[in-house]
Amino acid sequence: MAKFVYNQEAVDNLHLSDTSILDRLIDFESAREAHSKKEHAKKDKRMTIGEAVATFVQDGDIITDGGFSYVRTPHQAFHEVMRQGKKNLQMIGSPNTNQSFFIFYGLVDYSHNSYSGAEMRGIDRLYDRALKHDKITVLSEWSHGGMAQGFKAAQLGTPGVASKQMLASDIVRYNPYLNVIQNPLKKDKDPVVFVPALYPDVSFIHCHAADKYGNAYIYGPAVNDLAVAAAARKVIITAEEIVPENDIRYNKQGQIIPFFYVDAVVEMPFGALPGSMPGCYYWPRQWWEKCMRWATLTDENAKAFLDEWIMNIKDQFEFVEKLGGAKWIAEARRQTKAAEGDNEDIDFSYEEFTLKHDSGLYY
Amino acid sequence: MRDLNAPANPLETLAYIIAQQIHDHSVVYIGTGLPMVAGILAKKTHAPNITIVYESGGQDPIEGDMPWSVGCPFTWRKSPTIMEMAYSFAQCYNGYVDIGFLGFAQVDRYGNVNTHMIGKDFHHPKVRLTGSGGNNDLSSLMGNMVLVGLQTPDKFPEKVDFVTSVGHLNGGNSRREAGLIGNGPSAVISPWGVYDFHPVSKRMQVKSLTPGVTFEIAQSLTGFELLKPEGEIPQTKLITDEALKIIRTQVDPRGVFTTMPSA
Repeated sequence: MAKFVYNQEAVDNLHLSDTSILDRLIDFESAREAHSKKEHAKKDKRMTIGEAVATFVQDGDIITDGGFSYVRTPHQAFHEVMRQGKKNLQMIGSPNTNQSFFIFYGLVDYSHNSYSGAEMRGIDRLYDRALKHDKITVLSEWSHGGMAQGFKAAQLGTPGVASKQMLASDIVRYNPYLNVIQNPLKKDKDPVVFVPALYPDVSFIHCHAADKYGNAYIYGPAVNDLAVAAAARKVIITAEEIVPENDIRYNKQGQIIPFFYVDAVVEMPFGALPGSMPGCYYWPRQWWEKCMRWATLTDENAKAFLDEWIMNIKDQFEFVEKLGGAKWIAEARRQTKAAEGDNEDIDFSYEEFTLKHDSGLYY
Repeated sequence: MRDLNAPANPLETLAYIIAQQIHDHSVVYIGTGLPMVAGILAKKTHAPNITIVYESGGQDPIEGDMPWSVGCPFTWRKSPTIMEMAYSFAQCYNGYVDIGFLGFAQVDRYGNVNTHMIGKDFHHPKVRLTGSGGNNDLSSLMGNMVLVGLQTPDKFPEKVDFVTSVGHLNGGNSRREAGLIGNGPSAVISPWGVYDFHPVSKRMQVKSLTPGVTFEIAQSLTGFELLKPEGEIPQTKLITDEALKIIRTQVDPRGVFTTMPSA
């Protein structure tokens, strides 16, 4: 029996027979209880990614990510979740990093979408097939901005916000969490969408630096990360480096996730691969082209590709070796620093992966 | 290196036409792909003082290469500030953004956009597309939204398969009555024509056509009835040799977004 009253038109359109599956994402009481009960003491929370996933990700959890557009997204942590074979997960996020990989291996059964695909690299054919073959149930459709408001509402400490986004679109008709209400202060008709605060179970956030307690520093676009860190019941930080607390205090003010939100701190250089990491490494662009143009063509291709790069790999260092090792690191760092204006401009030409041409290079 | 003497291809033509919509000193919200080319072209030609903002949160980046993605450092290169996502869209709501550009898979006569799926069954579509991303947010909040894409009867259908983003909804005052902000889409640009919306009915009408394209040809490429303006239909100003050279040598020298997929 569901705890909340949902938008019935959306429930019907989505063919949801039991709406209790929707509850936890907006269940403030249980989120507050989780926040109240978690370790508040300033303690050393360092552990391996294997321990963090085993301890803090349960079957059935709603997981979310940080970053955006394959920038600073927590791919390597997600790869570990996949290798540990968690089940019945829900995924939410903008970008919802590679949810189709999870679905392919049968880990994720439910999705909350605001975008799937890789921009100009193409639509996500894996997700397309999963949908057609009933391997995934969509629980809600969003816009990026609408979902961002849901996370932000949680960070603000409110039950939700009134939005002018998504009004009158089919998104509202495919999102049980959204209701159109009248702005109470307006004399004339003034519809607004009530966007509830969103509370995922587990946030994975890849940061530039963290101290051992969990104070975590982000350089570049923060996207939704400060909000999802505040909202989630459990927060796992992976960081390019672990720094002394004083380095955060003296040198890294700005976009900081406070330590008491954080459950686990994992030292994980190259944790954003195969995404890019501001200040650290650019995308291995051919990896994405091969993924979108070749791997997603058939399930056989997908299995070969994902087994090779995720399931049969021990950790991110093996991933780096496959990309080209130290030479790859140097080139990727040169590229991202040049793109950010911190190196002399360079030629960004590269040998694109196409179905007819695979240079084997990833820079 | 690109062939500087080849005639302009449809994507370059499109980028030029889009760029002409941008006035100097304005704040411009840019989505991924061709709008990036158009924005940077405008900045390098007739509108050097525009401020470009991106969905990544990047604001007013200093000049660099063509972004590989909307999250690419070139969209936030030395930005004085980078907005969180919720705040980035809020700039549109609060009235700071002068013009925005969005792509579409389908657009109907009222400028309603679909980027969700092709097909009638949400659960088993013919093709599942990306979904909204920021498309709905900009459409919901902008006063001056320009829609950009290719034109075929399937892409300009009677009814879109999923209303990802509301344009003029059912025409007339229906957008405003539904509570949306701003005046909605102002133009639709395809390689064959520039279209705007009738001031009262909000139905799509021809504004100008690419040289060689007649109203009949434009209509045959459209799945709904286009409104024909009074009198002679103006021709869209074609890309100049100078602008074409700037695209190929400075804006998109590697042809990331302005070479045809078959090339």
